[in-house]
Amino acid sequence: MSPRLIRLLLRFAPSTFRARYGEELLTVHEARIAERPRGPGLWWLVTREVVGMVWVLARARRGTGRIGERNSRGGGASMLDTTRQDLRFAARTLWRNPGFAVAAVVVLSLGIGAVSAIFTAMNAFLFRPLPFADADRLVMLYETNPEFGWQDAQTAPANALDWREQVEAFEDIAQYSDFVDEVTHIQDGEPTLLSVSTVSGNFFDVLGVRPVVGRGFRWEETWDGADDKVVLSHGLWLSMFGGDPAVVGSLVDMAGTTVEIVGVAPQGFSFPSDEVQLWTPFGWAPENREALWFRRAHFTRAVGRLAPGVDPATADAELQTVVGRLQQDFPATNQVMGAGFMPLRDFLVKEVRPPLRLLLGAVVLLLLLACTNVANLMLVRASDRSREVALRFALGARRRRVAGQMLVESLMLALVGGALGLGLAWVGIRGMSGLTDLGIDGATDVALDHRVLLFTLVAAASSGFLFGTVPALWASRGDVGQSLKDGSRSGTSGRGGLRTVRLLVTAEVALALLLVVAAGHMVRTFDSLRKVDPGFRTEGALAVQITVPPARYPERDQVLAFWNQFEEALQGRPGIQRAGLVGRLPLAGSSWSSQFQAEGWPPDRVGFEILHRRADRGYFETLDIPLVRGRSFESTDGPDDPLVVVINETFASEHFPGEDPLGQKIAYDRAPDESSIWYEIVGIVGDQAQTTPREPARAEVFENRDQDWGRTAWIVVRGALGFEATLSTVRATLREMDPLIPVAESRSLREVWRQSMASEEFILTLLGVFGTVALLLASVGIYGVTAQAARRHTREIGIRMALGARSGDILRLMMAQNVAVVGAGLGVGLAAAWVSMRALSSFLFGIAPNDPPTLGAVVILLGVVALLAGYVPARRATAVDPVESIRVE
Amino acid sequence: MSDMTPLTYRILLALADGDRHGYGIIKEIEEQEGMGTAPSTGALYLALQRMEGHGLIRESPERPPEADDARRRYYRLTEQGRAAAEEESARLATLVRAARAKKLLAGGGS
Repeated sequence: MSPRLIRLLLRFAPSTFRARYGEELLTVHEARIAERPRGPGLWWLVTREVVGMVWVLARARRGTGRIGERNSRGGGASMLDTTRQDLRFAARTLWRNPGFAVAAVVVLSLGIGAVSAIFTAMNAFLFRPLPFADADRLVMLYETNPEFGWQDAQTAPANALDWREQVEAFEDIAQYSDFVDEVTHIQDGEPTLLSVSTVSGNFFDVLGVRPVVGRGFRWEETWDGADDKVVLSHGLWLSMFGGDPAVVGSLVDMAGTTVEIVGVAPQGFSFPSDEVQLWTPFGWAPENREALWFRRAHFTRAVGRLAPGVDPATADAELQTVVGRLQQDFPATNQVMGAGFMPLRDFLVKEVRPPLRLLLGAVVLLLLLACTNVANLMLVRASDRSREVALRFALGARRRRVAGQMLVESLMLALVGGALGLGLAWVGIRGMSGLTDLGIDGATDVALDHRVLLFTLVAAASSGFLFGTVPALWASRGDVGQSLKDGSRSGTSGRGGLRTVRLLVTAEVALALLLVVAAGHMVRTFDSLRKVDPGFRTEGALAVQITVPPARYPERDQVLAFWNQFEEALQGRPGIQRAGLVGRLPLAGSSWSSQFQAEGWPPDRVGFEILHRRADRGYFETLDIPLVRGRSFESTDGPDDPLVVVINETFASEHFPGEDPLGQKIAYDRAPDESSIWYEIVGIVGDQAQTTPREPARAEVFENRDQDWGRTAWIVVRGALGFEATLSTVRATLREMDPLIPVAESRSLREVWRQSMASEEFILTLLGVFGTVALLLASVGIYGVTAQAARRHTREIGIRMALGARSGDILRLMMAQNVAVVGAGLGVGLAAAWVSMRALSSFLFGIAPNDPPTLGAVVILLGVVALLAGYVPARRATAVDPVESIRVE
Repeated sequence: MSDMTPLTYRILLALADGDRHGYGIIKEIEEQEGMGTAPSTGALYLALQRMEGHGLIRESPERPPEADDARRRYYRLTEQGRAAAEEESARLATLVRAARAKKLLAGGGS
């Protein structure tokens, strides 16, 4: 796109230069761009080329240095020449008044930078193409269930397999596991963990991704017996195999099994998650297709490719027919199970779209505020320049020409502000990436590309018009005689100018109020969230994730012995107070959910959507989770003893209202039969927040890790030594027990807790920054208008004071005007907030939109800051010596 | 003081050992001074225009046989250009000697 821009700029070059060098210049430019690899170096070059070209336009004539050449072609100046003249004139005027130019550019770059930063994030999520072939034909299929409250839930493999075979509208449907697994790979005696995504054999084909070396999987390889294959990510291929194409076809030992490397994924492809290093087929046993669990467990995501030319409505109709059939054929699992699909991108960005929209709204307000601010500065200057303008009118300049010139000045400021803003945006983006991931996991990441550049250019140009039009019109409307006469008095151009300036300041206060109110709401929200008791103690607690490998611990009892020994060893270490085990950390989502029935319940009484978590006694004690009633797991609840579970308080109150849950037996079935497994409820523990402190805990049941055992778990530890020291103790203990088991992940519970509020913190941080900038800009506006009013009325003030007015009276008079302006701004702002804060409601917690105390606090804050900003120059005006002030003119 | 701009001198230097087109000049400058040191394309052509105007360079009448792009013009030093480059080089050499004498530059003096 830069050649196009250069070509455009060339049109503004003098015709002699263009005719002789234009084409050649373009060729060289294209060659230079083409040879540079994509990356920051390229953007630097493009920027330099464009800036250089603009510089050329400003200087092109001087080269030959012949004065009068402009007219040598005879006839009037061409439009391009006029524009060029305007450009030079504007550059000179701005150069002569650097203070103004710098102020305007800084203010604009803040506004444009903010808009551009948010747009860069939006671009990464919403506009950058997904790295899949014909991505617009890709859809995410999901299941729905009114009884469970599911809207776009994971699919049960058997259902998705049936869709694949029976819905003709889809060319193909692939599945992948919604959880990324970790496997231990031993290389040269050192254990490393690799992130694995398990997928169906048609995964790469459906996405339209071609491995760079070798092949993807084949459909047959989905099934057990043919699944000993892996595809490497590009990164793993480079780091582990040095990018050697010959690895394809070789057999490697992964986590104790021998697999064949069949291909290498292209660079940049890591779907469904950034961390994926390997893909491997599911390896399902074919007889699973008839198994109940295969239709009951929802753990895969299904990506479908619409057949060419099939519209979504047709596909949906076909899908619903199949769904209806499955509901009848498999009532036990599918009685009310529905299905649907949405474009893949929409699915991938559904979480981030609302906050991005909110932030875009906020930055647009900020940019408007910046424009108002600069318009104000320009007006102040225009009135200072009214003599110059009047003189030019008197000398025969046409109105359009004068207005045009001022507009060119505005545009020039806007473009410089935009360029600086782009730099700010880049810095801002870096900051934002530190707070949250920007880009679709596994598919796109954040980058400055041509869309961002174009957007910034458009934003800058439209701001230029926005803040340039008002002063341009105002200046060009000037009454020649009046201004020249007025001109003798310093910079007065009638009351009209001041009125316009006041109107603009009113708008600034209103805009600032909106932004600060939004920020204020988020402050309250974040504060309320932090006050929510998550139900467990975070201080001094950390957790490490560990997998006990099947290769060296094949039997259940060996795994259980490992957990026991590890916990005991940890508790024997100095500084460690308690250790325990849990399958999934609180506030980090739940593992799985199910329905249940208690023994003796009538068939129509069913508990829906209870959550499950595996734990031991140590977990509750390490995190100070209170035992409310009954007992915790005991050593007598061994693997072969009767099955026992502990439930949380919500489970007790929701499913056993007015009954005693202790001693009740439950099975995770809708209609238990002789094959059902029964668990006895032996204890009730306090609720722990499961995904976010926003939502009250849901009914949850804790299975005993000795009875419902697993190989992967989090070991939670409470120590008195601080995070790093405790973590190294844990690592050392693990190394002594088994040096080949790595720690997959380690987190402090405090960080887990903070992470659960990360999106609120992100929005809060950005709105906080925007609100502060808005407050600053509005204050500058008020300061400016008061200072200007004071300057205009210096003489009047002097006369009044000479006639005996006290400085207090004058101050009161000037402040009264400020109060009127600020008050009007606050009023307009409040009215706008009343209407628009509803947009915030889905982000709020603990307060309603337009929370009166928040509004009140913001009004007071803004009022005080605004009046202070006005007080300083007003005070200064009254401090002058009356005689001096009269003489000034 | 010389009134020759650094860019003018760099272009003269690039053309000293043979005719080059615009892209060739850029490449030669980067060759001598490193990647990313060359001027923007616009600035280059502005300088070429000025240098042609002052008679320091002119379009080369011959085109190397491999030049297939009609849009590419080759530039050559005029005698005046060569003289100016020599003069400027001598001036710079004097300055470099002075800098060495004042220990601003490492390396043995001549």
